[in-house]
Amino acid sequence: MSEEKVLIKARKLKKYFPISKGVNLKAVEDVSFKIYEGEKFGVVGESGCGKSTLGRVILQLYPQTSGSCVYHGKSIQELNPKYIQKEINSLKDYQTKASKFYQDSLVYDKKAETLKEQKLQLDSDGSPTDAKKYDKLSQEIAKLEYKSKELKKNASRQLREGSRTVGSLICCANIEEIQSLFTKAEEEVHNAHLCLAKRNELKNRYDENAVNIEYIDTVDDLIAELESKSERSEEEDYRLADLVSIKKKVEHLNSDTLKAENETLRPQIEELDEQIRKHHEVEMSYREQAFAYRGKNILPITERTRDPEYLSKLDENYETGINLSKLTKSEMRTIRRDMQMIFQDPAASLDPRQSIGKAIEEVFAINTNMPKRVRREKALQLLTKVGLKKEHYYSYPHSLSGGQKQRVGIARAIALDPSFIVLDEAVSALDVSVQAQILQLLEDLSKEKHLTYFFITHDLGVVKHFADRVMVMYLGNVCELAPSKELFKHRLHPYTESLLDSVPRLTIQKDRKEKKEVLQGEVPSAINPPSGCPFHTRCSKCMDICKQEKPKYVEAMPNHFVACHLYTEKKGE
Amino acid sequence: MEKVLDIKHLHATFTIQKKDYEVLHDISFSINRNETVCVVGESGCGKSVTTLCIMQLLPNNGKIQSGEIILDDIDLLKLPKKEIRKFRGKKMGMIFQEPMTALNPLLTIGYQMRETIMLHRGLNKKEANELAVTYLNKVGIANPESRLKQYPFQLSGGLRQRILIAMVLSAQPDLLIADEPTTALDVTIQKQVLTLLNDLKKDMNAGILFITHDLGVVAEIADRVVVLYAGRKVEEGTTEQIFKNPKHPYTIGLMNAVPNVDLDDFDIKPIPGTFPNITEEIKGCRFNPRCPRASECPLCFKEAPHEVEVEPGHIVSCHLFN
Repeated sequence: MSEEKVLIKARKLKKYFPISKGVNLKAVEDVSFKIYEGEKFGVVGESGCGKSTLGRVILQLYPQTSGSCVYHGKSIQELNPKYIQKEINSLKDYQTKASKFYQDSLVYDKKAETLKEQKLQLDSDGSPTDAKKYDKLSQEIAKLEYKSKELKKNASRQLREGSRTVGSLICCANIEEIQSLFTKAEEEVHNAHLCLAKRNELKNRYDENAVNIEYIDTVDDLIAELESKSERSEEEDYRLADLVSIKKKVEHLNSDTLKAENETLRPQIEELDEQIRKHHEVEMSYREQAFAYRGKNILPITERTRDPEYLSKLDENYETGINLSKLTKSEMRTIRRDMQMIFQDPAASLDPRQSIGKAIEEVFAINTNMPKRVRREKALQLLTKVGLKKEHYYSYPHSLSGGQKQRVGIARAIALDPSFIVLDEAVSALDVSVQAQILQLLEDLSKEKHLTYFFITHDLGVVKHFADRVMVMYLGNVCELAPSKELFKHRLHPYTESLLDSVPRLTIQKDRKEKKEVLQGEVPSAINPPSGCPFHTRCSKCMDICKQEKPKYVEAMPNHFVACHLYTEKKGE
Repeated sequence: MEKVLDIKHLHATFTIQKKDYEVLHDISFSINRNETVCVVGESGCGKSVTTLCIMQLLPNNGKIQSGEIILDDIDLLKLPKKEIRKFRGKKMGMIFQEPMTALNPLLTIGYQMRETIMLHRGLNKKEANELAVTYLNKVGIANPESRLKQYPFQLSGGLRQRILIAMVLSAQPDLLIADEPTTALDVTIQKQVLTLLNDLKKDMNAGILFITHDLGVVAEIADRVVVLYAGRKVEEGTTEQIFKNPKHPYTIGLMNAVPNVDLDDFDIKPIPGTFPNITEEIKGCRFNPRCPRASECPLCFKEAPHEVEVEPGHIVSCHLFN
């Protein structure tokens, strides 16, 4: 990692699958992490630990039950999501609701206060007949205190929601002005977005012309070259037929008119680029005006808003990325171009009746308005990029081996130049010798295209050598998260330890230093997970506290996070 | 040492579109009593076909062309079909990769176990039930009586595999064939099953033929190893010989391709090229298109290598050692 820029930030992601009324399968439970740009983020765990679900929740293939997942790979300007305006409109609501909740809580506080005084009086009177009354009072006080606490929580939740769009400005008295400034900025974003769409349209036209110009000049030579061959393979025959049809299409085109058209297109594109830039400038000035209010006219919405530390915390909440969970379906579709997935079984992700070339072209057909010929060129380029031959364009999935099919899957995933790819057990179904080839390909691609991987696997050996950072999951919870070398050197969580001990080693029995203990039992059901730490039922170091309390997620060593009571206690001492 | 299984010069073919393709070429190896022999290789190398030959369960288009498979001094290939049935399950038991498909989902575990025991041991229902309980205990299943009343879907993958092991053992076979029994299991459960098999080996008094593609599992369980590539035996030796002193370029390549958890600076080196299809014709050594050392000797492209014993018990089939 050269630069530490966050690409994806998941906060308290939760995914429950409803089984029947009131019964949920808790697949992912409060998982938070950050993925940096250009990083290979590995996730390991046994089957049923929620690693695949997590991958799909990030891509919004499953809607999350709660929590949020923020994507920083694309700017808000590029996508112009609708939810932002909605959020801006409800800023005032957040503010009023928060203050209302807080005021209500104060009422309860007051009531509790008076009851406490009564209780004190009873204490001083010391009459034993009042024991019942005394108990009732304490119960009442506890109830009131609980209610007030809940309301206070609600108040800060409202503020937190608001701060995602405007930071600490949510506590500012001039909220209406801020709203209108942000709305104006949104308008500019919208305009810039429209310009961008038009620009891309023109650019595509330009690219198509360029390809045609090239074909007009070369198609005859290409045909002649193929025809002159004494022996042609089946693939070459196809290619020849293709070229002939291309020739028919470009015949009536004149390269000079196309060139002239491109000459007129270029300044138009440049003009639009300039407009987009201007819109951005105006947008930024509106935002600056709004942020000039930062720290001024702070309303005493809750007691904490007076605290500058709390305000800076709210400022930290300000999101520059895109909150994937709030996007509409079509917006999510656009962003999926940036976030791709490669599946475990390469055969199942290809249509047996579709040729490889068509399968790759389909990606462009759906997501871009590229003309057919450009799609074709791109598909051929991709085939060579992933280490297949151009002849494979015409073959069908059944004639490819598992490794080759997986290469097609990779070609499809990288076709749209994504920034983020979820690899769900992408090499698990392959033989070792091929697995190593695919890993190498993925490694090369990540360097070349600056890709970020979310690498899901159950194979610790693979993750050790492939990933930069590794997250160990158990029953929907994160056990440990550390840079991969660090994790394998200093494993903190007992589960990581036993997982590593279970991996079959390449050393023969005689040479092993010590006999490792075998982890007993099996993964409990996620419908009814154990209380406290989810691993306590199988853990050899289980303590009393593990059965009752869920361990906190702490940074036990620099950059090394672990959720285990063994380490939370040490920190407290 | 007593040989339980002795395979000599086994040749097998598959007929695809009226043409015969060789899937096993001159395979010979043997298994002694109380010994585990692992057959390793990539998918398509013929390891599963070998087990199917032994069990005489080849699909209709498969045929054993020549060779001998001797189990307890009897050549299975010379027996009539009816006689083979007496061997299957009784003298040689098999555990498959996918435990769910090997168990009948409509019948209880108890029914399926009793059926096996009554058939092979000639006991009545009550005795069979008692024996089933003892065997479930042996494979480490807690409260076996209640397990017998359950159906396969109520059990986890690891438990199902244990039940299959118990079922096979209950017939007291001389040969246990395990075809990738742990591949579908999680690492922690895999470790449990491997440990169980290692523990059982002592009192089972049988030979184990273990098929796997995972070299880590081989190191865990094998006494001797047979490496197959494209239907040919490329190397055979004790586990120590194979892991400490691999000779054949393919074996070395396989070892380098496995990501090792214990090493810090380790580059995964893939074997270039792809595994040949059985319909592909390759002249000379079948490994030559992918072999890094094929350029060293011109013979590799001309004729198939012979087996050479480089040290006692360590057999390599490569021109480099001729």
